[in-house]
Amino acid sequence: MKKTTVGLVALAAALAAAGVQAGEIRIGATMRMISENGQKYGQMMQDEFDAINAAGGINGHTISLSLLNDECKSDKGVANANKFAYQENVHLIIGSTCSSVTLPIVDVTAQAEVPQIIPHSTNDQITRKNSAWVFRVPISARYYKGVVAKYLADNVGTRIAYVYASDAAAQSETQGIIGQMRDIYGVEPIYEAQTQEKEIDFRSHLLKIRELEPDAIYFGGLAEPIARFLVQSYEVGIPASVTRAASSAASNAPVPKLAGDAVKGVFFSAAYSDSDTRPIAQLFNSLVREKYDIPSVDHDFSQAYDLVRIVEIALGNAELSLEDDDLAADRTAIRDAIANVQGYEGLSSGPISFCADPTPQCRDGNRTPVLIQYTKGGEDFEVGILDRVTMPIDFGL
Amino acid sequence: MLLDFLVVGLSIGLVYGLVALGISLIYSGLDIVHFAHGEVFMFGAFFGLVLFNDLGFSYPITLFVAMILTGIMGIVIERVFYRRLTKQGGGYTVAGMGMIICGFGMAIILQNVAYLIWGAEGHAINVNFGLPMLIGQVALPKSYLWILVVSVGLMALLHAGLKYTKLGRGIRAVAANKDIAYLMGINVPLMISLIFCVACGLAAAGGVLIGPINYVQVEMGYLILIKAFAAAVVGGFGSLPGAVLGGLLVGVFETMGAAYISGSHKDIYAFLLLIFVLMVRPTGLLGTLAKVKA
Repeated sequence: MKKTTVGLVALAAALAAAGVQAGEIRIGATMRMISENGQKYGQMMQDEFDAINAAGGINGHTISLSLLNDECKSDKGVANANKFAYQENVHLIIGSTCSSVTLPIVDVTAQAEVPQIIPHSTNDQITRKNSAWVFRVPISARYYKGVVAKYLADNVGTRIAYVYASDAAAQSETQGIIGQMRDIYGVEPIYEAQTQEKEIDFRSHLLKIRELEPDAIYFGGLAEPIARFLVQSYEVGIPASVTRAASSAASNAPVPKLAGDAVKGVFFSAAYSDSDTRPIAQLFNSLVREKYDIPSVDHDFSQAYDLVRIVEIALGNAELSLEDDDLAADRTAIRDAIANVQGYEGLSSGPISFCADPTPQCRDGNRTPVLIQYTKGGEDFEVGILDRVTMPIDFGL
Repeated sequence: MLLDFLVVGLSIGLVYGLVALGISLIYSGLDIVHFAHGEVFMFGAFFGLVLFNDLGFSYPITLFVAMILTGIMGIVIERVFYRRLTKQGGGYTVAGMGMIICGFGMAIILQNVAYLIWGAEGHAINVNFGLPMLIGQVALPKSYLWILVVSVGLMALLHAGLKYTKLGRGIRAVAANKDIAYLMGINVPLMISLIFCVACGLAAAGGVLIGPINYVQVEMGYLILIKAFAAAVVGGFGSLPGAVLGGLLVGVFETMGAAYISGSHKDIYAFLLLIFVLMVRPTGLLGTLAKVKA
């Protein structure tokens, strides 16, 4: 029995080693790819890394991307991260989309000492874990909530009702706005409730909110619950004069498609708007629309693109041996190279910079949210930019 | 505001009732619990989505055709997959247990088939119901009115069909005792197929009615199934009037709980009601003592 076990372990090790090619940079990505857009975010990353390889790779090394779907489930995300770290021996982990998945992965990458770069998750606790191995490309919820709170208080009013879904990003963003309103403006919510997991019927909350005659209602959640909430808010008779605001997931294309006219006037903060007039943004929008058949480009596309560019810059600056024996040294070199990325200007609304300290100030790279408002709903929806604000680096800490 | 909550509770309760009716119908006919019924509801909603959004049918025609298509799908599922097991009996028999497992498997298969066809994203059935109707202080959205009228109409039609038609009497005979029904010259396999057809058609109606409000997506069946089971048990498993009553009670009870206690724990109220009813009356409100039929 013992011999058999030893034999199997040796065989597994040999097979694992055979699957790993020296000389290539191995990257593992775990993302939520259960929706059409989710698959396309992953596809975009794959295409961009393929393009780098086709152009000769980075310092002569090709990149091998292993892309796994975690379905926005923490257990699958952690399993994927462990597989990348210990079986595929990747040099860098990208992930994940959902904050609730990214949060436990931070512990895996810290333990395994693998650099992790985050494409989409916004929960501010992710970088507050102070892992030396984590970098965030998207805007942290601590910045988002500051911008939304300020806009609401200055332009809408302070009688605000909040409802938020049970996912980590929604909780973080909504609680943050409530905290900002309390700390800066001394205002308590007129209504605050968390919905159950997978809740689809928000009418009980909305009927109670209607009776309170709010200035604004805010919903924190993923794209589909946001759309449901907006539609149901009109069904229960909350008038259009009540401002509707939502978390950054409102930027995802399913929201205006599902909500139709109910999305008109809704505002949210995001990292990118496809109504951005910069030439680079216009070029990117055309590329995504043509290549991925996407009518309107949301910030998850731009963040996926920016992430690849940042990884490209960092890998280009890192001195890598890519020998199996030097895996730990290569991982450290990549981490340090990402930490040295300063003032990257791509599609994001402001420059992205990292630094070496394992603190949120150093690892929340982008601190310029854009306030966006829907001006038209449906398949051919339209948005306008309300404001673009670069937040102080310590904001919300 | 009480009336507003009552309207919301009744509208969602009627949808629970429609799905619970199908579950109870299958149970009363075959002594089996159909765990794939939530996915049948989901397929009905997707049929509605395609018929309305893509093929441009009017909403009433969409409802009708989606019910027919889902009913046919129910017949196919029963004849192709369940028939061998249902022939061996239901309830506490080996075949009955096999049927439950088969139902779970069917639920997973249907969910994955829907995922392959329509993807995981939610889709809206883009029905424009227009402005809500004002009845006194209550603004009644027309989508709720559709739910009310169609659900009550279908329930009345089912009741009349079962009570006054030859086919209905045949179904009731099969539900009472399959062997004796067979000896009386009733085409038992046909009646069983018909039971599945009607049960699946009712679930489809629920799906198409709720589609414009809650959207259509592959996971919608699981959510409704739990509530419909609660409704069926509260009303008395196998009792058709009980399923309707249970649906209404679950819908109203959870909405009132959300309104006056806490909206963040809505599901708890439905199951508190379930536990309370089972403690006071283990057979459910309109149920009779459980028995294993032939």
